[in-house]
Amino acid sequence: MSMESKLSSVAKTTTPSPIQELSHLAQRCNAINLAEGFPDFPAPPHIKNAAISAINSDFNQYRHVQGICDNLANLMKEMHGLDVDPLTDIAICCGQSEAFAAAVFAIINPGDEVLLFDPAYETYEGCIRMAGGVPVYVALDPPCWTLDADKFMKSFTSSTKAVILNSPHNPTGKVFSKDELEIIAGACCTKDCLAITDEVYEHITFDSEKHISLASLPGMTNRTIITSSLSKTYGVTGWRVGWAIAPAFIASAIRNIHTKITDSAPAPFQEAALIALRSPPDYFESLKKEYELKRNYIVNLLAGVGFRIQFKPQGSFFLFAELPEDCLLSDVEYVKELIRQAGVVAVPGCGFFHSNLPSEELSKPCSSYQKRYIRFAFCKSHATLAAAAKKLVKLLDASGYLKLH
Amino acid sequence: MIFFFLLLNLTLVIKKLIFRTPLLYFLTLFLCVIIIFLSDCLMMMTLPSKALSQNQIVMLRNQCTWTDSEMLRSLPTFDRSTLYIKHFKKGSSYFSSSFSRIQKITMATLSTVSTDKDPVSSQNGSTQMTQQPFQVAKRLEKFKTTIFTQMSMLAIKYGAINLGQGFPNFDGPEFVKEAAIKAIKDGKNQYARGHGIPELNFAIADRFKKDTGLVVDPEKEVTVTSGCTEAISATMLGLINPGDEVILFAPFYDSYEATLSMAGAKIKGITLRPPDFAVPINELKSTISKNTRAILINTPHNPTGKMFTREELNIIAALCIENDVLVFTDEVYDKLAFELDHISLASLPGMYERTVTMNSLGKTFSLTGWKIGWAIAPPHLTWGVRQAHSFLTFATCTPMQWAATAALRAPDSYYLELKRDYMEKKQILVEGLKAVGFKVFPSSGTYFVVVDHTPFGLQNDIAFCEYLIKEVGVVAIPTSVFYLNPEDGKNLVRFTFCKDEGTLKAAVERMKEKLKKK
Repeated sequence: MSMESKLSSVAKTTTPSPIQELSHLAQRCNAINLAEGFPDFPAPPHIKNAAISAINSDFNQYRHVQGICDNLANLMKEMHGLDVDPLTDIAICCGQSEAFAAAVFAIINPGDEVLLFDPAYETYEGCIRMAGGVPVYVALDPPCWTLDADKFMKSFTSSTKAVILNSPHNPTGKVFSKDELEIIAGACCTKDCLAITDEVYEHITFDSEKHISLASLPGMTNRTIITSSLSKTYGVTGWRVGWAIAPAFIASAIRNIHTKITDSAPAPFQEAALIALRSPPDYFESLKKEYELKRNYIVNLLAGVGFRIQFKPQGSFFLFAELPEDCLLSDVEYVKELIRQAGVVAVPGCGFFHSNLPSEELSKPCSSYQKRYIRFAFCKSHATLAAAAKKLVKLLDASGYLKLH
Repeated sequence: MIFFFLLLNLTLVIKKLIFRTPLLYFLTLFLCVIIIFLSDCLMMMTLPSKALSQNQIVMLRNQCTWTDSEMLRSLPTFDRSTLYIKHFKKGSSYFSSSFSRIQKITMATLSTVSTDKDPVSSQNGSTQMTQQPFQVAKRLEKFKTTIFTQMSMLAIKYGAINLGQGFPNFDGPEFVKEAAIKAIKDGKNQYARGHGIPELNFAIADRFKKDTGLVVDPEKEVTVTSGCTEAISATMLGLINPGDEVILFAPFYDSYEATLSMAGAKIKGITLRPPDFAVPINELKSTISKNTRAILINTPHNPTGKMFTREELNIIAALCIENDVLVFTDEVYDKLAFELDHISLASLPGMYERTVTMNSLGKTFSLTGWKIGWAIAPPHLTWGVRQAHSFLTFATCTPMQWAATAALRAPDSYYLELKRDYMEKKQILVEGLKAVGFKVFPSSGTYFVVVDHTPFGLQNDIAFCEYLIKEVGVVAIPTSVFYLNPEDGKNLVRFTFCKDEGTLKAAVERMKEKLKKK
């Protein structure tokens, strides 16, 4: 038996991340990185200092910092009116990534179907498949990525166990509306399904758009697992402190599984999380304002050079821009040229689109839109965004539109 | 509960306004209590109906592993549910049989410890919870549900000295902490490359070469994970298919069985027995076959302190090559090898191509909470590990990776001093335990030692540990939780000496004073 055959079936069917590959190309070309979703400006000093202080105070062994749970419970009450028991309803994990993985393992059995909205962050499917689940995608309708209630309801089968909801949404920047959440909640209740939410961008919303947690809707408290983290809110994506909030018996399951996956989130950063989670309201206000300025900048920039932006991001720090109408290149080809010629890197949207097999969707003409989108991250310093603008501007043709040859 | 009080108030009001006879009042009260009971029944039955997966059931079954971090946990869910039930038990004995049924349902769903042969039914008719009745010995029933919390609460309540937890009560070296602080200040706070920052991968490869003589490609053969625990779970989930046969040596670190179950593996256990916990070669030969997918080896070994000898490793290697079996090695205590030289199985002829070698920063540098671990394997195996890792945690803590890079470049003198330090601590504990009257088994490595507690006349390891906390004021770990068959461990408990000398001496004194042979 060859060594290669020793890979598990999951390992054999997963492919390397297109985001990472392009990242390497970008590095080689010294391109401005508007691809990866992390800031290039420093993290807030008061939080860094808290981490440093924790290291110096010898908070360096295995740890579960209960205070994080207390703070989270308070935040959930303030933001969403949710009653969370800090002693039983919260599991601290190594980032939202691990919280999500543990949540999936906690509730998904082999053969269980899980509904996801397309386009979707690429990692959800990997977790679901590892647990033996079957991902079923429900396409959101471009250009505004609206939820088609009919399509959604028809995707449920007797095997459907859970719905995954990422709001504010990566890659589109959509913030699911109250009406849409009511549809999702109604379906979960009628079909007796669970929901796992990814709310990492919960504090990054614009134009007085409010992030509403699915768990706050009627009937959802007992069947929703909220996952989130410090990463995006506090600009510390490398610290790996996240959490799952769920009804006690599910949270307990997630904790048990997390203990077997990694055992503990990094101790000094748990201590820093205490400080972070107690940030005053104006921290969150200015976070929103800062990102809104960046959003406006990049929307104007890219719309100005010919990208079709029919949907302005309502949250997160991503812009899902459609290629210019007359552009014949695919998203991947376009991004490659963007790197080579403009020295700017973004993410081709195709990696976020999925198909169900067997699928009627593939034969429909509108599915070609899946190759027409590019995701730009604007969680970058103003200097970086301005530098990107400068580089793009060099390639404008006579009519002022971006021309790649 | 609120419902209960509202109804109670309501009945009092009704009593005042309407009822003239006590009989009517009590009938009404009785009815109210029945209503409350029924609604709670409903709640208990509907809540967990569909939710918990097989994985979780297995997780809970395996919860009878006393991870060190469990000591610090708050009350698990089950405790709160039983407390809730207890409130009603005070009400009326009429309901006691129904309550115990609720208790069984709750127990079955939360901790799978029912010894009841009848399947538990759920209201929605979902059969996920009812497929197989989970059975467990009565003493583990108690153990699984609350013993960790009970023990840790007891430890605090009785002011017991903790020689149970497998992490130091002293801190890591300054130069490593400073490196972490520098990394934070320098802004290294964003996502690292999924399989590790290049500097750390290189440092790991360099250290591995120093330790084993093997030259590995840091870019293709080293993966950084959140602790060795994640290296293990990523290896299991990335390389094991459901139904694959995997051999484990008992007693074992609790995550092995759990993650193997998550991967759907068929576990075959081989028990290591006192006094020297030698590998039973004949049993191994008859257990391993062409159907075996992998074998997991932890050396130096937690909890026994055993180190696999060259002879044992040679035999294991030969069997693995003959039967085309993968090997996963957990070598986190490799720098705490006292009596023997540590040997990495991957360094034996023909073994590197089939081995995943796992290690971490935590034990060597007394920074167990930093969660920096790694897996070293040939590219075709590394691929599977990296895939699973990318879905489990995506990336590992960035500032700590920079610190780990500095740590791994520590001079040889660091490791010599570490060993010397631990050997002194070990001597204090081992001599102390012998003087107290334990039968102490030789431990060649790790910072653990297992002892036979039977001279003190207690029924089993759990009873002994409880006694030790309450009457003596010292914490040890009952080893039965580390076995597939808990009976195998009932005579043994584990002590750790990763504590400062003052703590060790104080613990020994307490035991000398209060622990008497029967």
